Amino acid sequence: MPKEPRATAAWRISIWTTLAFALGTAIAFSIVYFLVAQGLRERSDTWLTGEAETLAQVSADTPSDHLYKRIVREVAELATQEVPDERNARGERLNSVFFLATDPSNSEGLLWVGPSSEDAFVTAIQRSKLVPGAPKSIAVDGLRETFRVVVKQQSGRTVYLGLSDRGATRMLHRLARRFLMVWGGMFVLGFLISYWSARRTLLRVERITETVARIGTEDLEERLPEPVNSDEISRLAKTLNRMLDRLQSSVNQLRTVTGAVAHDLKSPVTLIRGTLESALCDEGNENWRDSVGEAIEGLDRLSQLLNTTLDLAEAEAGALHLDRRPVDFSDVVRQLVDIYQPAMAERHHEVTANLEEHVVVDADVMLLNRAVSNLLENELTHLPSGCRVNIRLRSHDGSAELVIEDNGPGFPPDISSQAFKRFVKGKHSPGHGLGLAFVDAVAQAHGGAARISDRAGSGAVITLSLPVHVLETVAT
Amino acid sequence: MRLLLVEDDVSIQQFLKRALVEAGYLVDAASTARAGEAMALEGIHDAFIIDLGLPDLDGLDLIARCRAQGSSAPVLILSARRSVDERVKGLEQGGDDYLTKPFALPELLARLRNLLRRSAVPQNESMRLQAADLQLDLVRREARRGEQLLQLTPQEFALLEYLCRNEGRVVTRTMILDHVWRMRIDPATNVVDVHIYRLRSKVDHDTPRPLIHTIRGVGYVLKYA
Repeated sequence: MPKEPRATAAWRISIWTTLAFALGTAIAFSIVYFLVAQGLRERSDTWLTGEAETLAQVSADTPSDHLYKRIVREVAELATQEVPDERNARGERLNSVFFLATDPSNSEGLLWVGPSSEDAFVTAIQRSKLVPGAPKSIAVDGLRETFRVVVKQQSGRTVYLGLSDRGATRMLHRLARRFLMVWGGMFVLGFLISYWSARRTLLRVERITETVARIGTEDLEERLPEPVNSDEISRLAKTLNRMLDRLQSSVNQLRTVTGAVAHDLKSPVTLIRGTLESALCDEGNENWRDSVGEAIEGLDRLSQLLNTTLDLAEAEAGALHLDRRPVDFSDVVRQLVDIYQPAMAERHHEVTANLEEHVVVDADVMLLNRAVSNLLENELTHLPSGCRVNIRLRSHDGSAELVIEDNGPGFPPDISSQAFKRFVKGKHSPGHGLGLAFVDAVAQAHGGAARISDRAGSGAVITLSLPVHVLETVAT
Repeated sequence: MRLLLVEDDVSIQQFLKRALVEAGYLVDAASTARAGEAMALEGIHDAFIIDLGLPDLDGLDLIARCRAQGSSAPVLILSARRSVDERVKGLEQGGDDYLTKPFALPELLARLRNLLRRSAVPQNESMRLQAADLQLDLVRREARRGEQLLQLTPQEFALLEYLCRNEGRVVTRTMILDHVWRMRIDPATNVVDVHIYRLRSKVDHDTPRPLIHTIRGVGYVLKYA
């Protein structure tokens, strides 16, 4: 198990989930923030416009006598008090609203309600080009927050009403601060939760890894625990267990095969050695040539066993090099029947062959020869004297079918289901049990199949089917 | 006839060299592909015998290099693997031949003779074959022992013809299957022997001087004992 948490997949998974989560919430918050800011702006603009209109009306309606300033100032002060003022850190009062009225006809000029230092505001207003009726944000020298200002003109008098953005800015800042706090919390908590759950899940994988590593180095008996639920990891465990089952059976089979080969090699080696020893020791023996010949025959049988084993190993590993060409299957079978016929007759077997002419298959001719010869060899070695053997070849539904049928004792019931497995043979049958396995491997390599069945009554039927060669039609 | 033998297994090399010298060939032997290539390029050999599993270079690559440098002598390939791969099969179509270990010496010699004959000027095919008092008419497919006409099946005639062509030389069972039936198979049973018994019963029937002899452990030979 990795000691360093940063080297684990759980760590990486949680980092990425947390980042995605944080990004998502940040985007959502930005949208909310923007909407809130817009809402606030609309509200202040509505208030500003309405109030400015009222004030402009009042200012217009009031005759410009000595009472004008008093009346308008009072109305303006009432209006400005609708928005509470704020104090800064030093406790000084900060006006949130200002009101300015100008009258070009009046020599007294400005009417100012608001913060004491009106000059900065007047400069700012003069600097920005305000359009009557459209609120606009203007920056005032010496103040951090901008003012939202609206202008109204009525009867030659101009009224300016300004509202500080201070309140809105404060509110938005507060919102952002709260969000950041919650966001940070969510970030940490989210990371912890996802790390914990990913780690918990991946620890199960880790346990599987450990167990499998142990199985690989020790024995193949152990299996992974299979949880009852069926999530991905349980399926992984189940799949690995099935794989181990197959591996174990292959290994066991391999052990059987190795044992069988060793056993099959031992007796001929002993025999050859004995024959040669006796030829060497027996000085008066004139027939030493016979002994040497016998030894060579034994060696031939040995190399035959080795060759068949190698062939089969290659075939089963899918390593057969197929040199496929159109082959006249009928010809192959006829030639081989011709070769085997006398040997069959010597054992008093009656061989009949019904071969359809010119059944052409796409095959490696050497492998096909050996497969068919193995089938005939099988008949020759396993049948008791005086049987009937019927060999049929026909093409049928795009497949060439070679059927070899006899009226012998058939396959013993204990092997008939697995006669095509290597080293499976009847208890009393000679040979190494490799022949039919090779036939099966060759058939499969060619996309065909080999089957055995018992005949009703008695006897065995072996069928070798291969796909027939498809004539290439010339495209017109 | 001068042969080049490239084989890295010293004991097999020695044994083959002795056997080939006894059969009347001059033999140069090399243990590595490099040494073999140098010798092959002298251009003095009538045929090469090359093992596939050489320590420094694959035997097939050695052949390709020799061919690329203009050497045209026929090649007999020795292979330890039974199902020889496609490249070897390809070479076989190009006129060369291969043998898988273990092999019988007569088979090696027969294949070698074949290769050398193929590369030489084609001989006039004789219409008749004669061995001792056995006469084969290849056109009428008739065989006579002395004066007596033998009743042979076409297969038996082909078998006898093959033995006759190799008069005095041992032929193995695999050679017989290969030449008479064109089958490279290796039966574990006595199928070939039965054919020979039948042929012998006709050819050597009632005669004090049999022609067809069994060489135990190797094969058969047609000769006067």
